[in-house]
Amino acid sequence: MKTSPKIQKEVIESCKAGNEKAFAEIVFHYQKKVLNIAYRMLGNFEEAKDLAQEVFISVFDSIKDLKEEIKFDAWLTQITLNHCRNRWKYLKRRQYFNSESLDDPIETEDGNIPKAIVDPSDSPETLYEKKSIQEFIQRGLLELKEDQRELLVLRDLQGFSYGEMGELLGLPEGTIKSKLHRARMELKEVLEMSAH
Amino acid sequence: MDCKEVRDRFSSLLERELMPPEEKTLREHLSSCSECQRELERFEKTMRWLGSVEEVEVPEGFLPELYKKMEERKRRSAEVKKTELGWFHLPISFKLPVQAVAMVAIVFLVLYLTKTMPTEVYRLKDARQTPSPLSVEKKPEQVLTQKEVEKDQRIFETTPETPRPKDVDLAKAPVPREEKLKGTYAPPVKTEAKKAEAPSPKAEITAYQQIELKEAAGAKAPSPEVGKIEKGLVAGEKSIVTSKLPQEIILKTSEREKMIPQLHELIKQFGGEMVTAEGDMFLVSLPTTSFSEFEKELSGLSASTKADKVVAKKQIAESLRTAPGLRREGVDEKRKAPSKLSADQEGRTVVRILLVPE
Repeated sequence: MKTSPKIQKEVIESCKAGNEKAFAEIVFHYQKKVLNIAYRMLGNFEEAKDLAQEVFISVFDSIKDLKEEIKFDAWLTQITLNHCRNRWKYLKRRQYFNSESLDDPIETEDGNIPKAIVDPSDSPETLYEKKSIQEFIQRGLLELKEDQRELLVLRDLQGFSYGEMGELLGLPEGTIKSKLHRARMELKEVLEMSAH
Repeated sequence: MDCKEVRDRFSSLLERELMPPEEKTLREHLSSCSECQRELERFEKTMRWLGSVEEVEVPEGFLPELYKKMEERKRRSAEVKKTELGWFHLPISFKLPVQAVAMVAIVFLVLYLTKTMPTEVYRLKDARQTPSPLSVEKKPEQVLTQKEVEKDQRIFETTPETPRPKDVDLAKAPVPREEKLKGTYAPPVKTEAKKAEAPSPKAEITAYQQIELKEAAGAKAPSPEVGKIEKGLVAGEKSIVTSKLPQEIILKTSEREKMIPQLHELIKQFGGEMVTAEGDMFLVSLPTTSFSEFEKELSGLSASTKADKVVAKKQIAESLRTAPGLRREGVDEKRKAPSKLSADQEGRTVVRILLVPE
C-alpha cells in the first residue's frame, strides 16, 4: 500500500509533464487500492471498476495542479473517497441498494444459500465458505453509515494509520479512534442482528 | 471500571494501546463479567472477519479500458467546445463587427417597437369599436372626407364676408353642398383640386343655365360641369340633376281651357317663352325684371288665381318627384339661394306654373 515517495515523485513529475507512460505506471501502482476502496464502499464490482477508472481520469486531468508530489497518496485517496461519496449518493437516489439487504440469501458459486445463522459465535466458518463470509461482511459494511464505513475500510481493510486518516478526514487522531471503535461495535451489532 | 467503560476500550485492548495498569483493571473486570467476556469474543470475531476480507483483483483490460474512456471523453469535450464554446475561440476581429451589428439591430428594433406601439394600441382600440375590419380600413378615409367637407363648408360659409369675386364663390359653392347631401362620398384630392380651379364666371353661369334648360327639356344628361362635380358619385345617382330650382306659381282655375291661351299670351307679352308644357304644368322662362309684373298679371287672369311662392324644400322636392321626366332628388334649401342668384345674374327667371282645378 505504501509507496516509495522518492520513486513516485519522479513518476509524478513525469506524469505532470504529460508523460503517458508515467501515467500508466501510476495506474498500475494504485489501481488495486483504488478499486478495493471503491468496491468496499459501494459493494458492487462493476460500479467500483467504473469508479476507479473515473478516479484515474480525474488524476490525469488535475495532476498538474498538485503542488506537493509527496502528498500524492493522500491526494489520490481523497479523490477516491470523493468519487465514492458522489457515486453512493447517486446510487442511493436511484434506490440501487434497496433490492439487497443482509436478510437476502447470499449468492455463491453453488447457488443461493439460505441464511441459517442462529448465533455468529456458532462457528460461522462451518456455515459459510470463505467467500460467503466476505460477502456477509460486505453487506454488513453497507448497512453502516457512510462515514463509519469509510473508517473501517481505511483502517481495517486498507491499513491506513490514524495519522493518515486524520489528515484525510480532517479529524484529530483521538476522534478517529473513538469513531472507529463505534463503527466496529456497530458492525458487530449489525452482523449479530442479521445472523438472528 | 464498569461494563460500558470496559466495552469502550475493546479496540484499544486489541490494538494494544492501553497502559498496563488500565489493561490489568480491564482484564480483571472481564474475568468477573461473563457478559463483557462474551461481548469481547464477538468483537474479536468481527475484527477477525474484517481482517479476513480479501482484496479484489483488478480485472484484465483495466488500463486499455481506461484509455478508451479517456479518448471518448476527449472527443466529446472537443465536440462540446466546437458547438457550445466555439464562439469564445473565434478571433476578436470577427466577433467585434458581429457584436456591433447585433447591437445596432437591437437598438433599431427597440426604437421601432417603441414607436409603433402607440399606433398599434390606437388601431386595436379602433378594431374594438368597429365590428368589421373593412370599416376599420375605411375609417381614416371617412374622417378625412368629413374634415374636407367641413373645411369646404367653412370656406363656403365665409364666402360672403371675403372680398373674393362672387363668381368664384359661385363656382365653388355647389360642390361641398353636393358632397354633404350625399354624405358618404369621399372625393379624391385631385378632384378637389380641379374644383378649386374656378372656371370663368360666364362659363359657370352658362353651365347652370344649360342645366336648367336641359332639365326642362326632360334631358337627364348633366352638363360637363355637373359631370365634373359629380365625379365619384355612385353611377346610379348620376342622372340626378343638381341645378337651381325655378320659381313656382300655382294657379287655381275652374276654366282650364281658357286659362292656357291666356297664359301663353301673357308670357309673350313679358318677353318670356314657354319652355315646356306637360299637362297642367308649365315651365316658363322670363326676364327677371318683368317677373313681378308677370306675377301680378297672372293673378289677374282669374279672380280665383292664387300665387304661392313655394320655397320649402320638401314641397318642391315632392312636386319634382311627381313630375314625369323631371327627376330631382336631394335638393336642399340652401342650394336654392346660389341657384337663384345665378339666374338673376343672367337676367332670366324660370317659373313653374301649375294649374290646379278649383
